[in-house]
Amino acid sequence: MNQFFTYIAQGTFITIAVTLVSLPFGLALGLSLALVYNYGGRWAARAAGAYSLLMRGVPPIVLLFILYFILSGRLLNLSPFWAGSLALGIVSSAYQMEILRGALQSVGGGQMVAARAIGMSRWQAIQHIIVPQAVRLAIPPWSNEASIVLKDSSLVYALGVPEVLRRAQQLSATTQQPFLAFGAAALIYFVLVFLTNRALDWLAEKTKLPTQHT
Amino acid sequence: MDTPVILQAKNLTKIYGKNVIFQNISLDVHKGETIVIIGPSGTGKSTLLRCMNLLTRIDGGQIFLEGQEITAAGTNEDRVRQQMGMVFQNFLLFNHLTALNNVMIGLSKVKKMPQAAAREKAMHELSRVGLSDRADHYPGQLSGGQQQRVAIARALAMDPKVMLFDEPTSALDPELIGEVLGVMAQLAREHMTMLVVSHEMGFAREVADRIVFMEKGSIVEQGSPEDLFERPRQARTREFLGKITELYGKKER
Amino acid sequence: MKIVWKVFVLLLAASLLLAACGPQSGSRLDAVKQAGVIKVGTSADYPPFEYIDENGNKTGFDIDLMEEIGKRLGLKVEWVDMPFDSLIAAVQEGKIDISISAFNYSEDRDKVVDFTNAYYTSEDAFTVADGFTGTIAKPEDAAAYTVGVQTGTTQDAWITETLVDQGLMPAANLLRYDRADQAALDLKNGRIQVMLSDAVPAQSLAKKLGGLAVIYTGVFSSGPMNIVLPEGETELAEAINKILAELTTEGYIDSLAVKYFSE
Repeated sequence: MNQFFTYIAQGTFITIAVTLVSLPFGLALGLSLALVYNYGGRWAARAAGAYSLLMRGVPPIVLLFILYFILSGRLLNLSPFWAGSLALGIVSSAYQMEILRGALQSVGGGQMVAARAIGMSRWQAIQHIIVPQAVRLAIPPWSNEASIVLKDSSLVYALGVPEVLRRAQQLSATTQQPFLAFGAAALIYFVLVFLTNRALDWLAEKTKLPTQHT
Repeated sequence: MDTPVILQAKNLTKIYGKNVIFQNISLDVHKGETIVIIGPSGTGKSTLLRCMNLLTRIDGGQIFLEGQEITAAGTNEDRVRQQMGMVFQNFLLFNHLTALNNVMIGLSKVKKMPQAAAREKAMHELSRVGLSDRADHYPGQLSGGQQQRVAIARALAMDPKVMLFDEPTSALDPELIGEVLGVMAQLAREHMTMLVVSHEMGFAREVADRIVFMEKGSIVEQGSPEDLFERPRQARTREFLGKITELYGKKER
Repeated sequence: MKIVWKVFVLLLAASLLLAACGPQSGSRLDAVKQAGVIKVGTSADYPPFEYIDENGNKTGFDIDLMEEIGKRLGLKVEWVDMPFDSLIAAVQEGKIDISISAFNYSEDRDKVVDFTNAYYTSEDAFTVADGFTGTIAKPEDAAAYTVGVQTGTTQDAWITETLVDQGLMPAANLLRYDRADQAALDLKNGRIQVMLSDAVPAQSLAKKLGGLAVIYTGVFSSGPMNIVLPEGETELAEAINKILAELTTEGYIDSLAVKYFSE
């Protein structure tokens, strides 16, 4: 029985790996889209908005299959791990775009005006003044998205990536002990999400700007 | 004032939708001159100021900085704004940067100065406004008056040819107004060219070389403080000054 | 702003460039021989054909058989595990070279993939829980009960086409499951009355779970078990068929049946 649990636990590395690919990829793409939406002009903003609507309107597993089975093989020949992780990243980028564009907006137009007033170009203002403040504002909602991506990483089981959920299924089939098998999986996911949230809470505290009350 | 004209507005017009904010405004600002623009709220004073450094686009007319037309097509607006400093009613300090970094960032990122030189100049400007001991405080840790002084230092650090002040004390608690006006008065004494929109009549009376009274989008009257306060020519000017002086109180030296 | 656009265009160009590099052409047998590796898809959640042991290693009838075939072809077997109903698509799209996963021959499947010769003939079985009071004298009798099947299996296809589509059984009485063991569990706790599946795994599940019994076996949906290949790969099929013939004559397949099916 112990060896069985080792088998499930080994899937943790893959779960973490999938998350470590999809989350940053989603961030890079989501931030670019958020910048395009807020600063890119009317048509670019509309395109970004349509992308967001589409990606958030379809269940991630459906998008996973579309991206994996239809795109790869004809266009790109990606392994299940990369196809699954990038597909998840693409889905996440839409949600991250929404978080980040809200954060960018929250920074306020005044900051941009003040930056332009000392002669900064629009891009310099975005880079040095707006984005650094927006990122701080985005940490709490982003922490939520990170948890979601971690849990959604289980969806790559459908592509055959040997992560925690798939292993739990195999275990359940072999041992006929579904509660133990899936319970172990649930415990692993819970611990991962808990640790991630704690880490991000710590980050939010650390990057908080001092006020007169501190 | 007999110094050369450094900033010149010719027949400026600004329209928002159907509203004409101002029309055919012309103003010559001489080097080293301090001009205070007064008038009722909503008459376009702030808008006029923001048009001067091209933050707001004008719909008609031309603006010249040291003889060069900055409203001409193809002008590098960022470059123009590097030569004019602006101080805002709401301070608008960069919240994620310390006071020192607020003052420094224009030097390092826009003027591309090396770190050490930028830091030195920034500290110099901070001490000029009396805040060198607050260099590593964040805006959230500073009072309104302190924030505004840092904002002035930030603008001064760029060595601007003209300083524009958009109601710099209107958002301050009364006891903090003095420290900011003090800095501004010092700048005027040092012959900085200043264009100030303000309600502070005492300051206008004592520091301005010229006072411009604007109402409903046009200049009603302008002249030296003495001329305007003692011998206003327009009835409207007399009316406005009377009300304002009542409200704010005459400041006796 | 310009920089954002530059990056965007760069990414677009990069992905189009990657797109241009498509999969290689040429006979799959050659490609596989050249690589020295054959990618075999399976769904390792189906004891005793393919499952994982307590060390996390794949084991089972199909696993051993394929390892032997690989050895005789001079190829290393790279196992790719995925849910059962993803396997056919994976073969079609070339994500795997072949698949062995207790596949029964079916015409529907034949439309999109090819098959080797049969390596084993399986039976169908109806399994019920203790306390079942009904009768199943012939397969069609199942229409009277709630039945569970694994999605994408020949049993699924048979019961859907023969009973549900013909109006002999209400669609609501047919429940489909991702895995056979899920169906067995629902059978045990009474959510379904009958489970229709391959006989050998059914017996294995019945034994493991207890409280279940196989009450009818016959060949109506299943029958020959074959390895699945991409459409048109006749050379590869021939190579594998040759080995299967050898293994049958040598009695190797019979010995596997004894090893995994008799409990």
